[in-house]
Amino acid sequence: MPNHSGFRQNRKPQKPKEKPTIDENNPVLKAFKSYAAELDDKHDRYERIVKLSRDITIESKRIIFSLHSIDSRKGNKEKVLEEAQQRLEKLIENNFKAVAKELKDQDPYHYRGAYSPGLQEFIEAYTFMEYMKYADEAQANGNNVEKSVSDWIDLQKQMHYTDLQQSEENEKVDNEENGQKGYSFFVDPTEYILGVSDLTGELMRRCINSLGSGETDTCLSTCKVLQQFYTGYISLNVHRCRELSRKIYTMRQSVLKSENVCYNVKVRGGEAAKWGSVFDNKPGDDIDEGFY
Amino acid sequence: MSNFINLNIFENYQKYIDNEQEIREKIRVVVREIEHLAKEATIQLQIIHSDLTKIDHACMQARKQISLCAESYKNLAEIIPVGQYYRYSDHWTFITQRLVFLSAMVVYLEAGFLVTRETVAEMLGLKTNHADGFHLDIEDYLMGILQMASELSRFATNSVTMGDYDRPLNISRFMADLNSGYRLLNLKNDGLRKRFDALKYDVKKIEEVVYDISIRGLRNGSNPEALVAAVQADASNEENK
Repeated sequence: MPNHSGFRQNRKPQKPKEKPTIDENNPVLKAFKSYAAELDDKHDRYERIVKLSRDITIESKRIIFSLHSIDSRKGNKEKVLEEAQQRLEKLIENNFKAVAKELKDQDPYHYRGAYSPGLQEFIEAYTFMEYMKYADEAQANGNNVEKSVSDWIDLQKQMHYTDLQQSEENEKVDNEENGQKGYSFFVDPTEYILGVSDLTGELMRRCINSLGSGETDTCLSTCKVLQQFYTGYISLNVHRCRELSRKIYTMRQSVLKSENVCYNVKVRGGEAAKWGSVFDNKPGDDIDEGFY
Repeated sequence: MSNFINLNIFENYQKYIDNEQEIREKIRVVVREIEHLAKEATIQLQIIHSDLTKIDHACMQARKQISLCAESYKNLAEIIPVGQYYRYSDHWTFITQRLVFLSAMVVYLEAGFLVTRETVAEMLGLKTNHADGFHLDIEDYLMGILQMASELSRFATNSVTMGDYDRPLNISRFMADLNSGYRLLNLKNDGLRKRFDALKYDVKKIEEVVYDISIRGLRNGSNPEALVAAVQADASNEENK
């Protein structure tokens, strides 16, 4: 039977899907076309920055992880620190430069949501590296630390430094007029403060880890640093920033945890505390943010 | 040990945040001013739902208010440091959208076309480009226009009530253009997208009004034959969309 009545036969020949024909003369559509272009440009830039930021986050977390492997018994401190520093510098030199390039002539606050996770993680890694470098050393020698943790102005300078190099290259290529401009990655103080508050989580972790490896001195010194950070943070009087108050709450838990460790070290000696700390943790206390 | 944590950092940050707070307070004062003016204009424009003859007058009044807003925006622009528009923009996005809505409404009532972003920016004394200074954000503009769509669908029903049967047809055509305009945008899954999703209900409502009028032959000054032709033309228009 040539004439099937199956529904396949009923199907009309498919029209090629027409794009909605746009009346070129319609002023509304003309205007919206330009709006569409502008919105797309915004969204694309946002997505590109999100990608860059994600790379920064991953690399920063890895650096933090590697910094945790520093162990006085293994004597790997110099090597790990040097490597971490190099990797951090690489982040400044490459990734942040790319973000800064995207943000050139833009309002950095507009794309803040895109880059802030990366920036915070980077600040955490950077300050943790500095902690390992200065504070740990001093504790070993019993000296006072000469260097203090970088603040956002120091970081800002670093991020500008890399970009100045870039602009010097430009100078050679471009006209001399444009070369002077140079652009920098804008380090927002709020992001800095939020990033440093993550550092306390790492310090707590280091405190616990060093208990496991029997370095009770490290426990005590990290605990002290934590307490000082906590004092600094509760001295802040910040409205509007819910994120910060949440972080301070978490920080308090970290402080309590490490204080508890120190307590156990004191009353039971290093060996026993290792066991004690396991039971002392209340189930809700675990505020591990995870590495990935 | 205590040298590692420089407590100056916290002091400096406190200063920084206090400074920001101060700016925010200043902004709030100006924004409240603008809100007040915009409210006046909104009230003036409500008359269109009850008295068609007063539309021109209402538009004039609203324009006056809008131009007053432009002056306040100038003050606002002076408070905002260069390049920090988006740091504080959450204070004024809502009211700016409202003003876009009002300006668009006025222009539509006066002239019957969609106001461009450039024109709104000019009415409010703002720039269109972010590099030129305090500007009208494109998303605020688009949000404001969507608000106008809702208002127009209300206006369509009310103008029928008041015996103006041609107006809904105009509005319907205008909204169809607007709708296809928004379809050109690639919207992210954000607030604008959500608001845009509501546009179809406004379009639907107006089309229902047009349908009710057409089916009963209620158009002003039209004989039955012309009406049939018009309905057919409308129907084929709808299909094309």
